[in-house]
Amino acid sequence: MSQAASLPRNFESAVRARKLTKRFGATMAVDDLTFEVASGAVFGLIGPNGAGKSTTFSMLAGYLRPSYGSVEILGLAPTAVDALRGRVGVLPQDAVLPASDRVGEFLLHMARLQGMVESRVLEGAQRALDDVSGRDWWNERCGNLSHGMAKRVVLAQAFLGDPEVVLLDEPTAGLDPRIAWEIRQSIRAKKGRCSIIISSHNLNELEEICDAAAVIDRGRLVATGSMAELTATHEEIRVKVAPATSGARANLGPVPALRELADVKTVDLDEDRLEIIVRFDPNRADAETIIGRVLKLLLDQQVRISGVTKGRGLEKRVMEIT
Amino acid sequence: MSPLSEVSLITWREVRKTFRSARGGALAAISVLGGGAVSMLFASFDRMTRERLPPGTDLHAVRLQFFSAWYKEPGVGERLADCPYALWMMLIANLWLAPLLVALMTFDAVSGDLQRGTVRFWVVRARRSSCLLGKALGAWVAVLAVSLAMNAIVWAATATIEHMNALYVVGWGLRFFAVVVPVTAAWCAIAVLLGSQLKTPMLSLLTICATFFAFWVVHVAAMVTRRDWLSWAYPNAYDSLFLSADPATIGRGLLGTGLITGLSVTAAVLAFDRRDL
Repeated sequence: MSQAASLPRNFESAVRARKLTKRFGATMAVDDLTFEVASGAVFGLIGPNGAGKSTTFSMLAGYLRPSYGSVEILGLAPTAVDALRGRVGVLPQDAVLPASDRVGEFLLHMARLQGMVESRVLEGAQRALDDVSGRDWWNERCGNLSHGMAKRVVLAQAFLGDPEVVLLDEPTAGLDPRIAWEIRQSIRAKKGRCSIIISSHNLNELEEICDAAAVIDRGRLVATGSMAELTATHEEIRVKVAPATSGARANLGPVPALRELADVKTVDLDEDRLEIIVRFDPNRADAETIIGRVLKLLLDQQVRISGVTKGRGLEKRVMEIT
Repeated sequence: MSPLSEVSLITWREVRKTFRSARGGALAAISVLGGGAVSMLFASFDRMTRERLPPGTDLHAVRLQFFSAWYKEPGVGERLADCPYALWMMLIANLWLAPLLVALMTFDAVSGDLQRGTVRFWVVRARRSSCLLGKALGAWVAVLAVSLAMNAIVWAATATIEHMNALYVVGWGLRFFAVVVPVTAAWCAIAVLLGSQLKTPMLSLLTICATFFAFWVVHVAAMVTRRDWLSWAYPNAYDSLFLSADPATIGRGLLGTGLITGLSVTAAVLAFDRRDL
């Protein structure tokens, strides 16, 4: 899969990493990573624990200096703080809010430091907190916030002042499903208004939010591309088959006939999962057309269908390549 | 935004944070209450000393001799001969306490933020050098504020107990406090240099205390072995220069403490700029 395959024709990159390498003593944490993030895209950094996501993230944010290679955020080194002031927001994974600060006071300080005009500081800080549904916490001490509330305040400071690029490191790690869902909604609401890079090992979350992603394993880039490319949604469909009646065997007889359908390249059957995997030529037919043909054939043969999905799911894909 | 604006924003936040924290509040309260108690003690001691002098003793001459011997400099002795003694004792106490106060108030200014990762919120918005300078300045201002509050109590107590003219007392008090200002700056700079290298506040406190103690040991060793040049590495050694009436001598004092402060801050900024956060 080509690198930066997600980039549109009128490409303009918000973030560019070239041969990014980070070594801690004898340990190679990140090895020769090259990827680009298109302006306006939501881009995922995917990988198992210890893959090098957070190290990569820290180099993008300017917290760590690469041992070799370079990073450009909006065409500038991440350490060019003055030139990037107010244009980049960061949600660091393990950063703790200053306990003695009140939430409002903390956000006001952040707003002033990032060069917001004084007359807009209060409004900007309040709006950032509103965006994460935290209006009532303005006077709360940061040290008194629950984990979920604190995470949302950290998210608020990342989006404060509508930056052009936002880097989010594990934004929902350790949160209960409801708060995680609310945070995803907050991020989703920002989609299209800025370029967002999310580092996470929550693949469902990334599949849901991201336009494109890079998969990292043991410090190396193992795949990158649009989410459609990574999950093969444009070249594969999966049909889940149900048994004819409770306790009976599923009717899989018509499966060989699927191979004869137009534009279908291969048909595989996963008998354990009762799943038919149909790969097709994306240049000749789209997924919806193939779904129509496959379902018609199966339904004509009295096969009971319990579900249809496009592609193989990010989780499956990542399991295959890492 | 100019580096000056960044430094100013971070400095004032640091000062607010220090006095809002339980540790800052406790230190301020202990210092101020301690200052009150100490001032009573100093004033009583001074009065007792004067009462024990034989009748007709020239107090000016006694103090001239004492201060000249203490500072090994007749000019300083002449200048201090008529100062309120309790305030001078407060200066000595201030100078002795300065390293301790600095260590207690600065040890986690940077290392605490490094440990908690809070520093990551600042460095994407302000230059790293501004972050460090702001923290160093904030720590210095906080230490000075506590010292000043402690001194102000001593001034008030001295004026009241000794029935002295308030302006006279405050004039001497400010002169003595001015000695503490550059000396404390040097201690703060060294503390921030050390604290910014460590991610564990407790380790930072121990390192700062051990280093300050080493400075004192080197100073004592330098005095014993008559290696005067080495004793200038100890910021408290500059007090005699600052108490001189000669502007050139005061200038030498400022140059010395400025050099220690400048070198420490520069080293801290360079190291902080390059370190991984």
